[in-house]
Amino acid sequence: MNNEMEKKFVLEYLKARFGITEKYFEAFEFYSASKGRIFLGPKNLTVVDERNVSVGVLVARLGDNDNVKPTTNMLQMFGKFANRNIVKLTKENAVKYAEGSDIEVSDQEVSASADGYVIIAYNGDSLGCGLLKGGKIKNMLPKAKRMKIEFL
Amino acid sequence: MKVPKKFEDRYRDLSGDFDAFIESLSKFPSKSFRVNTIKASRDKVVRAFKEHKIEIHGLEWYEDAFTTEPKASLTIEHFLGQIYFQDLSSIIPPLLARSELSQAQRVLDMSAAPGSKTTQIAALMGNQGLLVANDIDYSRTKALKFNIEKSGALNTVITNFDARHIPNEKFDVIFADVPCSLEGTIQKNYKVLRSWSEKKIHRFSRLQRGIVEKGFELLVPGGVMIYSTCTFAPEENEEIINWLIEKHGCTIEKAEISGLDASSGITSWNGIEFSSELKKTLRIWPHKNNNMGGFFAAKVRK
Repeated sequence: MNNEMEKKFVLEYLKARFGITEKYFEAFEFYSASKGRIFLGPKNLTVVDERNVSVGVLVARLGDNDNVKPTTNMLQMFGKFANRNIVKLTKENAVKYAEGSDIEVSDQEVSASADGYVIIAYNGDSLGCGLLKGGKIKNMLPKAKRMKIEFL
Repeated sequence: MKVPKKFEDRYRDLSGDFDAFIESLSKFPSKSFRVNTIKASRDKVVRAFKEHKIEIHGLEWYEDAFTTEPKASLTIEHFLGQIYFQDLSSIIPPLLARSELSQAQRVLDMSAAPGSKTTQIAALMGNQGLLVANDIDYSRTKALKFNIEKSGALNTVITNFDARHIPNEKFDVIFADVPCSLEGTIQKNYKVLRSWSEKKIHRFSRLQRGIVEKGFELLVPGGVMIYSTCTFAPEENEEIINWLIEKHGCTIEKAEISGLDASSGITSWNGIEFSSELKKTLRIWPHKNNNMGGFFAAKVRK
């Protein structure tokens, strides 16, 4: 079911952390599920639709103290609207990220990003989510999405 | 390729050129992908493949799909879900309702897994409105969910009903890509022939009647249903639509896509005459239609 409080946490986090404003989500609705999962899906579900296996796309998880963890899905779709906490990888590091490796990044790649969840970007595309801490990025890419890239 | 005697008996005349038909069944279809316009534009993908030096060839009948080389699966565009690998035949059903999808508010995909058509439908809806992606097999909804998430299809809801028992709600457009005897996939999976039997065809035919009737019931007046299979068997194709016409008096619209080389449906089989309306349905034969997988589609309006 949709939950206004959890929606507020997610929207406030996206704005504060990445500068992504709520206007990009107006056509959709946030839905909360078990284990702190937040989905973004269509508005106005009816009886059939509510007997569902899942709605839309998993976009975030709420952890302890309502900390928000954005998903790869979220950042691949909406990362292009962000204006901060974006780590632009070199080609070599982008390949490593796609394979699921943690990455040591240069000062140039980290730029002005603060420790916490960051958008991993390469050549104008948002690849997904990483956790930046002390010049290292912990890879947050789900195992099922990891793959070898030879052409980028 | 060696085929069962009964298979030969059925398709010797119907195929038009049986030797060419059998030869085509051993040719693997071209690798093809569709640009996922939810995440990237056609121009961006074309530019990227040029930079990668990977060959792509556009189709005359769909601007967002290409045939390509196997190494296209190692591109960053695949990683990002900006392209989706999909058999060319499977791209057809959503295109038959392209204009309706651009206006539709409620769409149902009755047998959606693994999500190739579902994600294409979501893109043709502009990721707006509501797309209910149903599949009877819960384990297959996991692959469906993965592909929906990778494609960014936000307007979807996954349900897990037997398609014949989906609760009564109304939809503007319905896709009934029904379970079938899979004869059209022999090119990709020779094992289909090993388990082939006429008994199986008749079993699927009964199931398909139940699904197509339910789909018709769930349509709003004036709504459109696209019925499709990946098989050659008339009992699962024209005969199903003929039965629907006789029982419900539905209208059949011409199933055509500009630039697509396709054959028409048949109007008689095994001594049974079908409605002449069946000429408006579409058949893909691999030996006649660009080595695409075997396919049948009909456009039904309520």
